Amino acid sequence: MNTYIVAGYRTAVGKSGRGSLRFTRPDDLAANVIQHLMNQNPSITPQEIDDVIVGNATPEAEQGLNIGRLVSLMGLNSIDVPGMTVNRYCSSGLETIAIADSKIKNGMGNLIIAGGVESMSPIAMGGWRIVPNAKVAKENPTYYWGMGLTAEEVANKFNVSREDQDQFAFESHMKALKANENGTFKDDIVPIQVEQVYLDENGKRQTRSYTFDQDEGPRAGTSVEALARLRPVFAQGGSVTAGNSSQTSDGAAFVMVASEEMVKRHNLKPIARMVSYAAAGVDPSIMGIGPVKAIPLALKQAGLKLSDIDLIELNEAFASQSLAVIRELDLNPEILNVNGGAISLGHPLGCTGAKLSVQIFNELKRRNKKYGMVTMCVGTGQGAAGIFEML
Amino acid sequence: MSKRRIKKVAVLGSGVMGSRIACHFANIGLEVLLLDIVPRELNDTEKAKNLTLEDKSVRNRIVNDAFTAAIKSSPAPLYSKKFANRISLGNFDDNLSEIAEADWVIEVVVERLDIKKVVFEKVEKFRKEGTIISSNTSGIPIESMLEGRSDDFKTNFLGTHFFNPPRYLELLEIIPSSKTNPELVEFMLDYGRKYLGKKTVLAKDTPAFIANRIGVFSIMSLFHTVEKMGLTVEEVDKLTGPVLGRPKSATFRTCDVVGLDTLVHVANGVAENCPNDEKKSAFEIPSYVKHMVEQNWLGSKSGQGFYKKVKGADGKSEILSLDLKTLEYKTQDKVKFDSIGKAREIDDLAEKTRVLFNHKDKGGDFYRTTFTDLFSYVSFRIPEISDELFRIDDGVKAGFGWQLGPFESWDALGVSTVLAKMKESGKAVAPWVEEMIAAGNDSFYKIENGSRLYYDIPTKTYKAIPGTENLVVLDNLRAEHTVWKNNDATIIDLGDGILNLEFHSKMNTIGAGTINAINKAIDLAEKEYEGLVVYNTGGNFSAGANVGMIFMMAVEQEYDELNFAIKQFQNTMMRVRYSSIPVVVATHQMALGGGCELSMHADKVIAHAETYMGLVEFGVGVIPGGGGSKEFALRLSDELKDGDIRINTFRERFLTIGQAQVATSGEEAFELGYLRRGVDEVIVSRELQLTRAKKAALELVEKGYTKPIERTDIKVLGQEALGIVYVGANSMKSGKYISEHDQLISEKLGYVLAGGDLSEITEVSERYLLDLERKAFVELCAKKKTLQRLQSMITKGKVLRN
Repeated sequence: MNTYIVAGYRTAVGKSGRGSLRFTRPDDLAANVIQHLMNQNPSITPQEIDDVIVGNATPEAEQGLNIGRLVSLMGLNSIDVPGMTVNRYCSSGLETIAIADSKIKNGMGNLIIAGGVESMSPIAMGGWRIVPNAKVAKENPTYYWGMGLTAEEVANKFNVSREDQDQFAFESHMKALKANENGTFKDDIVPIQVEQVYLDENGKRQTRSYTFDQDEGPRAGTSVEALARLRPVFAQGGSVTAGNSSQTSDGAAFVMVASEEMVKRHNLKPIARMVSYAAAGVDPSIMGIGPVKAIPLALKQAGLKLSDIDLIELNEAFASQSLAVIRELDLNPEILNVNGGAISLGHPLGCTGAKLSVQIFNELKRRNKKYGMVTMCVGTGQGAAGIFEML
Repeated sequence: MSKRRIKKVAVLGSGVMGSRIACHFANIGLEVLLLDIVPRELNDTEKAKNLTLEDKSVRNRIVNDAFTAAIKSSPAPLYSKKFANRISLGNFDDNLSEIAEADWVIEVVVERLDIKKVVFEKVEKFRKEGTIISSNTSGIPIESMLEGRSDDFKTNFLGTHFFNPPRYLELLEIIPSSKTNPELVEFMLDYGRKYLGKKTVLAKDTPAFIANRIGVFSIMSLFHTVEKMGLTVEEVDKLTGPVLGRPKSATFRTCDVVGLDTLVHVANGVAENCPNDEKKSAFEIPSYVKHMVEQNWLGSKSGQGFYKKVKGADGKSEILSLDLKTLEYKTQDKVKFDSIGKAREIDDLAEKTRVLFNHKDKGGDFYRTTFTDLFSYVSFRIPEISDELFRIDDGVKAGFGWQLGPFESWDALGVSTVLAKMKESGKAVAPWVEEMIAAGNDSFYKIENGSRLYYDIPTKTYKAIPGTENLVVLDNLRAEHTVWKNNDATIIDLGDGILNLEFHSKMNTIGAGTINAINKAIDLAEKEYEGLVVYNTGGNFSAGANVGMIFMMAVEQEYDELNFAIKQFQNTMMRVRYSSIPVVVATHQMALGGGCELSMHADKVIAHAETYMGLVEFGVGVIPGGGGSKEFALRLSDELKDGDIRINTFRERFLTIGQAQVATSGEEAFELGYLRRGVDEVIVSRELQLTRAKKAALELVEKGYTKPIERTDIKVLGQEALGIVYVGANSMKSGKYISEHDQLISEKLGYVLAGGDLSEITEVSERYLLDLERKAFVELCAKKKTLQRLQSMITKGKVLRN
């Protein structure tokens, strides 16, 4: 059975902690995008949707209580559509699209909303209550390593210099700034209306509201020199800094996956189809190298060669791992992260897979190209890659 | 008139002194308004932001910048960074009206009388009646500031001379004018001591007041002596440093820190304004000093002074000293004086001083000359700068960190003996000294019935120092009220049923002798007294356990003995808490390792505000083994409420020990969990600390003190906490932040704090935790790297990170 991606949107990405989306809860963010998807396809009724699948890397606190179901209720304003939460860390938002796609292919549904959301503003990295298995922690401590430490390990093992990392980060910002300037992401983005309640200088309750519709991560003032001045944050004498790592962010992105029957019923315009998706495991201490294993798997499933791919979104978790992956697989930098990446645009963990998918659809369309690949490293030693074909 | 209450203070002028004075008032819990002038023009940043001279950020720029620099400076002017919000910032043009709410306005603007007068005129417009106004001037006559002021202003006005840095430097000179209300003078002498923790010294309105007048004379006269005797810079600093009970920076290094220009400024001021000073010539600037000022060799601020730090070809830095003859910098010579060698063998400072003064070598010559110069000078300063001799000693001691003031040194050397020598060498002495001796009084001070008395010149009698009548002072009790003593500690009866245990071991470390003394003190108190205070007058409360003893046993692999010794240490700490009498521990300066553990087992701690408390055992390769780790597990258990994210609270406690965090103030000791809010106290005045500690012990007695019951309800997290310990330690090691040995120590500490590898949260006893703690301690002592760390601490006094 054929499946089609018929729509996809994302929020602009806010900086976590002090950014513009910090007053908007993740459930609200996700519901907003889903409402927008529905508004753009007015003939579809909520009852025709079979499931809402929400990727999330830290499903607790504001993102707990099965946020997938809550987002379905809030976004569709109907009790009829179920919802679930999926966690494969940073590929969650891509994983959900693959699940939707497979379900429909197997006749388990006709129309599924899939994507992801992450608000890193209110929730500590890794969650609030981290309780590793003591025995495993002693025997296999790398299972629990922080991502930054794995980035250092990749830099060491694959000889990625500090200079190269900073240069890569700088280019990411430059590409993103240009994209912002050109309005490249306009078609991706659902504007979010933010409401803030606060106390003014005199302690009086005040409200203010604003629209957030542009990625706020790119730094106009940055330079290679400025990046070179930053101190390593994960290891003494290391090379990974806040500047050449991805930004922690708030954001949501969702796509609509439809069966052939549904496309016909509503006369929907297919954008793309998912050709293949693969996840793979690697040594957790060099987590960032995950795509090196996942990409060949996805290509093989698709029956494609790397040279067939027209555009790549490689999630920039860290410059060190991005460069290691590029070098190991000999990826073409000309078609990679052409509008910047997570170092400049931000990385809302569970949302990222869906967000990069939305971005690649619009960029392939602009370029009038066929195949796009979204790939990323994934926590605790994994990689994922998905290939889309434009229609 | 109702009692004066200080709730809010306004500080006018935010320079180095103003900002830091403001911080110190915030330290003691007051609201502070700190003001400075509005800038005349915009700076480049402001221009770039299109700001105007009307914007608040521009108008407050000077005060904002000064205050930001102050709170970032080291040593920190605030007890806790949190206290910064007690200070509000503003400018003279927009905010001066707010001084109407202040109870005390302190002027700390530039040292120019015309400017100060303008400020006071403005102050007069806004202040409410009765508000105290004071000037922090160090050189302008207080009397000269009264012109044009109202009567209410004049009676409420005086000089309050803080010394830099005001949080740390003990001295506060109180200088009334002829119009100051005497009630206010009394109030300030008491307020400065009790609330600000200062040694308050009443000074007359004479040039440079007391401390700088004597201190600068001492330095200037020494400049001339050095030249005459041909001594080197490093020789003089050796002669006038710790061996004399004076700061390590001694003479020339102190000059470098203060700045030679400042020193010359004060000296010139005295020379100009004291035409009748019999030693006026001493204030003349010697040619080598003139040369240095001309060359801008002013000390630290200009990179070179009497010393200069240079980097050699090998990259190692070296501190050169100035050759006062050639005026070139040279490698320092090794200094050796027979007199100093002899004095080093003696502990008692008075005895040391006698040996130095009487020794027949060049050092002795130096001491005889400089001491008698000083004695002569101070004798003539009465009644010029003070009517009472103790104020001169107090001023110099608190202002320059001397352990003995001039008259105290003279007492130590024997007043009449020295007087005879001075007469022989033709050195003049004020007549009152001879009159004192003629009347049969051979000392400036004496102790009677636990009180220290000073010789009162007009009445020729001994009188109690005002304000000390009701104080409990260990120095005054030691001779007559010692109950028990060994080499490391002394037990003194403070009266009213309270004993005091004082340590006097090296660095006041805790070893066999002190452990023995703690047990003895508790034994005695339980049998015959009501309570116990642990307090001492040393440089530090306690630098920790005696690591030498631990090292010896560890290196000999006498693990059973080591285990036994640690157990005895633990049992002693437990006795501190679990005895039939209240134990109050009063800490000051360093209270590290075992000193911290002792405090943590007290019924109550009365910590001086300048207490630097911490469990620093990681530095010597072990975990706290005297109940410190146990106590952290216990306090962790007590602070957890249902529903808390336990693991995060656990981590905080773990890191406090794991990073060997030392509190930089008593307040911070609360924040780090070494002190308990609602139980322990911080006191700002060191002078009043023992009196308060004794009272606190008596309060516990009065409340009906009973022996507490050992805890068996300590909730430990077990395996829930262990995982994060292992992950954290491994990650820190992998990130090269800690060594493999640190990782091991961390894991051992985590194991103890978690109560071991229990499968679920379990209630355990203190004894259970003490056993875990001791086991970990002894195991670590069997590690080579721990031995290396211990050895490094013992031989070099340095923390080895291996």
